[in-house]
Amino acid sequence: MCFNSFFFLFFFMLINYFFFVYFIMNGLSVFFEWEIISFNSMSIVMSILLDWMSLLFMMFVSLISSVVIFYSKSYMNSELNLNRFIILVLMFVFSMVLLIISPNLISILLGWDGLGLISYCLVIYYQNLKSYNAGMLTALSNRIGDVMILMVICWVMNYGSWNYIFYFDFMKNDYVMFIISFMIIIAAMTKSAQIPFSSWLPAAMAAPTPVSALVHSSTLVTAGVYLLIRFNYLLIDMFFFKVLLFLSILTMFMSGISANYEFDLKKIIALSTLSQLGLMMSILSLGFPDIAFFHLLTHAMFKALLFMCAGVIIHMMNDIQDIRYMGGLSLYIPLTSLCLNISNLSLCGIPFLSGFYSKDLILEMVSFNSFNLMVFILFYLSTGLTVFYTFRLIMYVMINDFNLMMIYNLYDEDYIMLNSMFVLLFMSLLSGSFLSWFIFSYPYMIYLPFNLKLMVIYVSILGSILGFMVSNMGIYSLNKLLLSYNLSSFLCLMWFMPNLSTYGLSYIYLNFSQILFKNIDMGWSEIYSGKGIFNILKNYSVFYNIYQMNNFKIYLFSFILWFMILFIFFFI
Amino acid sequence: MFFFILTNNNSNKMFFLFILFFSTLISISSNSWFGCWIGLEINLLSFIPLISNSKNLLSVETSLKYFLTQSLASINFLFMILIKFSLLKNFDMNNIISIMMNSSLLMKMGSAPFHFWFPNIVEGLSWMNNFMLMTWQKISPMILLSYYFNKNFLIFMIIMNLIIGSLGGLNQTSLRKLLAFSSINNLGWMIFSIMISENLWLFYFLIYSMMIFMMISLFFLMNMYFMNQLFINNMNFFIKLNLLINFLSLGGLPPFMGFMPKWIIINFLLINKFYFLTFIFMMTSLIIIYYYIRIIYSSFMFNYFKMKWVNLLMKNNMSLINLSSFISISSMILSTFIFM
Repeated sequence: MCFNSFFFLFFFMLINYFFFVYFIMNGLSVFFEWEIISFNSMSIVMSILLDWMSLLFMMFVSLISSVVIFYSKSYMNSELNLNRFIILVLMFVFSMVLLIISPNLISILLGWDGLGLISYCLVIYYQNLKSYNAGMLTALSNRIGDVMILMVICWVMNYGSWNYIFYFDFMKNDYVMFIISFMIIIAAMTKSAQIPFSSWLPAAMAAPTPVSALVHSSTLVTAGVYLLIRFNYLLIDMFFFKVLLFLSILTMFMSGISANYEFDLKKIIALSTLSQLGLMMSILSLGFPDIAFFHLLTHAMFKALLFMCAGVIIHMMNDIQDIRYMGGLSLYIPLTSLCLNISNLSLCGIPFLSGFYSKDLILEMVSFNSFNLMVFILFYLSTGLTVFYTFRLIMYVMINDFNLMMIYNLYDEDYIMLNSMFVLLFMSLLSGSFLSWFIFSYPYMIYLPFNLKLMVIYVSILGSILGFMVSNMGIYSLNKLLLSYNLSSFLCLMWFMPNLSTYGLSYIYLNFSQILFKNIDMGWSEIYSGKGIFNILKNYSVFYNIYQMNNFKIYLFSFILWFMILFIFFFI
Repeated sequence: MFFFILTNNNSNKMFFLFILFFSTLISISSNSWFGCWIGLEINLLSFIPLISNSKNLLSVETSLKYFLTQSLASINFLFMILIKFSLLKNFDMNNIISIMMNSSLLMKMGSAPFHFWFPNIVEGLSWMNNFMLMTWQKISPMILLSYYFNKNFLIFMIIMNLIIGSLGGLNQTSLRKLLAFSSINNLGWMIFSIMISENLWLFYFLIYSMMIFMMISLFFLMNMYFMNQLFINNMNFFIKLNLLINFLSLGGLPPFMGFMPKWIIINFLLINKFYFLTFIFMMTSLIIIYYYIRIIYSSFMFNYFKMKWVNLLMKNNMSLINLSSFISISSMILSTFIFM
């Protein structure tokens, strides 16, 4: 099953690649329409849009998913129901492909809901309590986005067609489009985990590692960015884009800080994904959709690789994900640590790896165009923080002393996992340059002063020095977190947003319902309906019994009495 | 019924039973009021030997009490008839004399406010005699009631019947007294139905007597007179189901047979805007269903009280029990196929 799906997806990727090259060289885009049913004046039509953006994205998605399926043959080999897992992953890929190729809100909804549902099934795959909680958080956060898209479908019916690409840039100033754009932005924010909805992404790391590599690094979380790229011509002058800018750079900043406090390997990588998503959203909201798409694709490559290396390390550490137990691995597992290091450095933006092309271009565009001071500071600060946590991670995992057990077995020769990682390694080295030559037919004009150009390098060096110093632990190291406990807990727990969106939302209602239940259900309504009426009736019955238990002559006398009473009473 | 009398090896009772039936027919089919009174007297005279058993002191006392109340009522009835003949020559029904006549008939039936003898006497009779008292003895007073009644007075009596029937039964543990109070309550429904139409009263009365018969025969077969005897013996599942269904049917719960007559009466009430009376009918029904369910609720629980050393063999009579359960459950729905 694994091999079949791997080969199928790999050939699908090659087909997409050739079509992509042909389409982008000739400037083609193809629109298929399939009329399903036509009845009087109503016709149901399924449409598919193939232009270079969707073909490129499909190529990347199928590449990553084929590699991940191949990887999971060895990673999940002790799983009894591996077929079920592979089928879930394939359904996920199908939903993603449906989302990518659709110019039509209904098929976007199908893909979007499919993504949400299948990611829920994949997150709860291990079926323990933590997975269930994580799955619920993931599903409910994504559900908000689904509701938003459903409402967009309702509002868009004003325009007579669900194929948004035909009319949305003609109707930009309409009140209806205003509401639609608001809802689309909220939907994209839930899927891509921006600030109000960002608590699900670190929690979703309870999923198996191949799922994290496919879903939470490159495909699910980028669906929101992709939707906004498609809707870009509509949204580009609107007020909501400024709100999105603000929230996404705050997301970038917050997750960069929180990743510095984390000790769980997958959570660090999740928070770094969140940071890069914030970067993508912010450059999109500044008005550069093609750069955002470029960064989306290169990020997918090295993040998936990073997750797969993390999976190998977790297997080796006897399923422990805490980095304080790891150390010195670069000496023992050279090939895996090669992949890990290259993907980490690509994430930091080290020159001429793939991440450099997209990240450096983003930062130079931010410096070249005139944006305000806060945007500038937070961008560069987040870049520095990226390098900071990356170097901290490298120090903890690769360089410091090994902390697990005295007897250990670090097995690097699992060539199934390694071969899949090598494919992504090749892509993560070369995809930066390769994509920049394809996508940008002419380069962007950037003219910067010398120190501003080197600002990236300054913050990177600063971040690396800080990362090195923070991870130097000895026997006598003081736990500095306790010295600034309040601030540290605020920064470490993602600015308390997971608590706000889970406990904070439900606390009021649960408290209120407890008050209602205690006072009304078990209180007054018992006196007025249940027990109270029973007591009244019982008293009446006891009172009646006094009349019933009597001598017989009293009965006979009472008959006469009643006769006289009724006689007098009705005489009138 | 004859089967049970024959088992007692007493053919005198069959003779008196025949006279009892005949006396009711005399009473309801006579041309003049005097003939009605004669029928009522023969009724009294023939019922007394049925219930008295000289070997049992309680039964003798009961028959004496019955004789006293019924003869008082008959005397009143005769006197009021004579006053009506001599003083009033009209056909108008809603006057003072009709109140008097109705009062005496109500005393004959055991309806409130003249009902105090009824639970007492029911306590002293056996189950089959109770059955006769609760069903057959009500026929002639009710039909006589329909010939000359005072509407306002009767509605007042109905309300009193309903309330006393429901409230009085809450504090009882004897099954006979419980059924007596439920009979008083059902008298309220029956008096109202006879004010509407005699056909409706017949319908209600037949269904009521059928349900009472099923229940009383069940209690008779198991020889149960008190509530604490209910589940000491090990009834098998079908007997418990039959008990459950019959009690719920008597209370007027929908899919069972006993709902149908009450439904028709409520329909009439609502169409003619008797809203307050509807309310009283409903609420007292609820109280009655409460104490029925109090009797039977442990019969439909999975964990029930079971004593291991008592074994009840009811193999001979299972067909009757099954038939009665079937009738109670399905007859309302089947009747829609036949009549509507």
